[in-house]
Amino acid sequence: MKNNGKLRLPPKAALFNAALPMFIFTLAFVLGPMIYMVVLSFMQREGNWGVAANFTLRNYARIGEPVYLATFAQSVRLAFTTTILTGALGYPFGYYMARLKPVWRGRVMLLIIIPFWTSSLMRLYGWIIMFRANGVLDSMLLKLGFASGPLRLLYTYPAVVTGMVYALIPFMIYSVYASAEKLDWALVEAARNLGASRFKAFATVSFPLTMPGLFSGIVLTFIPSMGLFFIADILGGNKVVLVGNVIQEQLMKAHDWPYAAALSVMLMAMTSLFIFLYRRLTRSGDLEGLV
Amino acid sequence: MKKIAVMLGLAFILVIPSILFAGGSKDKQAKKEFTLYTWSEMFPQEILDGFEKETGIRINYVNFDYDETMLTKLETAGGGDYDLVIADDYIIETAVEKGLAQKLDKSKIKNYSGINPIYQKQFYDLRDEYTVPYGAGVQTIVYDPSTVKVKISGYADLWDPSLRNSIGTIENYRVINGMALKVLGKSYNTENIADIQAAGDRLTALAPNIRLIKDDNLQDEIISGEISAAVMYTSQVTMAKIENPNLEVVFPKEGIGFGIMAGFIPSKAPNAEAAYAFLNYIMDAQRGAECFEYLGYYSTWTSSDSYISPEYKDFLTLPAGFNLDMEMIQNISPRADEEHSKIWTAFKTAAGN
Repeated sequence: MKNNGKLRLPPKAALFNAALPMFIFTLAFVLGPMIYMVVLSFMQREGNWGVAANFTLRNYARIGEPVYLATFAQSVRLAFTTTILTGALGYPFGYYMARLKPVWRGRVMLLIIIPFWTSSLMRLYGWIIMFRANGVLDSMLLKLGFASGPLRLLYTYPAVVTGMVYALIPFMIYSVYASAEKLDWALVEAARNLGASRFKAFATVSFPLTMPGLFSGIVLTFIPSMGLFFIADILGGNKVVLVGNVIQEQLMKAHDWPYAAALSVMLMAMTSLFIFLYRRLTRSGDLEGLV
Repeated sequence: MKKIAVMLGLAFILVIPSILFAGGSKDKQAKKEFTLYTWSEMFPQEILDGFEKETGIRINYVNFDYDETMLTKLETAGGGDYDLVIADDYIIETAVEKGLAQKLDKSKIKNYSGINPIYQKQFYDLRDEYTVPYGAGVQTIVYDPSTVKVKISGYADLWDPSLRNSIGTIENYRVINGMALKVLGKSYNTENIADIQAAGDRLTALAPNIRLIKDDNLQDEIISGEISAAVMYTSQVTMAKIENPNLEVVFPKEGIGFGIMAGFIPSKAPNAEAAYAFLNYIMDAQRGAECFEYLGYYSTWTSSDSYISPEYKDFLTLPAGFNLDMEMIQNISPRADEEHSKIWTAFKTAAGN
């Protein structure tokens, strides 16, 4: 909104009323369940089904057991690995996409969007076909003589990382693209005219100016990768145990809702901490490319 | 501050009624509709269509993924909404305890005497008041003799180092932890924490041999050669054997436990009559055999056994001289169950490292 003096802002009250339905909606459907979850996490299990409203800290104490701490560590490790790889692959892609002719930009954009029209589960099964014993990748490597027998590619940690990177890379590409598109290329030209090498111009001009895009891409991949536990299930053969997997198991199989709630609260606290750190480090309030 | 109070008030005024009146109205056509609540793919489509045609009752087939989901929904519905539920033994025990099942009127079930007595008077329904069994399974080891160099006769053989990174198991933690308990000569349902921990240590030693853990279509993995041995559900064993007759099937010598699926009518079923009609339709000897062939679990109705085709006979009826001295997995104390979850998580993590 341009404020050139002629434009009058609506009065505060009107804005307030306009926002009221959203406010109520958020309160009822976001805050409500969150409060319920926090309260539940201090309750006790009763028998093998119910929940008793007795205050206890035991659920939180149980998170401290090495077995469960290890799942938090595994989640963070996978999130970092995924984010670094996504950045390394997605940044150059987004950057060069912004330099394409407008016609091609649109086409590439479409190519990135198309996969979103099919279910993400279907796309994961595609990876299974790739990685399977005697599958696409296996037979290719055999024919090329890189492998002597069937490789056991599926149900491994690298398979999970591949699936994660695949699922999250569009977000990285978009954030970097949003930044790079706004870049004033004249500045890069100026640097080149003043004698900077290609690399020097990139390192001193383009890169710093596209940093916000990279950072928001990092947030957009890191946070969801903490929660994409079904990818770990499908491609990791259930052997890469993330907090999400434990939460699901406690809810669906062990039926220990208070413990599942406590784990969720801890996961949220951890994620919030990461966002807080990110903001402190980058001193940014808003995220590039995110509305 | 006042504003926030007003907002909260408004929020509740607007939201609460919508929750209260979300039930909607019941239509008078309910008598012509039968709501069946079970897993997907429990009945052949021909049977479902045949029932609709013969009785004029429309089947509303609702499915769940886990027993726990079913009980949560049934509880929320206060024992209503569904006319017939088919689920696992242990969850039925809880459903009955909670008063969510009604006693069956056996005079309305024509073929009640056709039920195989082996599957009756079980822990979840000691007096046979609430349930009709529909399919049973045992945890079985299946292996491919062309790739497995050892002879497998029990669970203990799965620890053999030659099976490194080549075993698949289902995701049911009580079954897999139970495997280690059985190797140690303990009961599936022990509540002794030290025993469960010992089983956990035993399982961790099995981790290097584990290639994958999954419930869905585990048989595909042994058929494709992704794994060479597996612990799987009976229905999966049936499918695997039909696909590849060379696979070896082993009833572990340490002892096995039956799992029985059974149907019950919820306490406030809107159309219990339709549930009886459906039971009568499927319990017909010949149709029952069709159902079990489709389902791939052991036939629980003696009357249907003779109609099962030779191709399926070996998988769907108990082997001759089958040792009936076995234990079923039952509900245990929350504390013991917590320990089970813990050793299971440790086992999965160890398998990934």
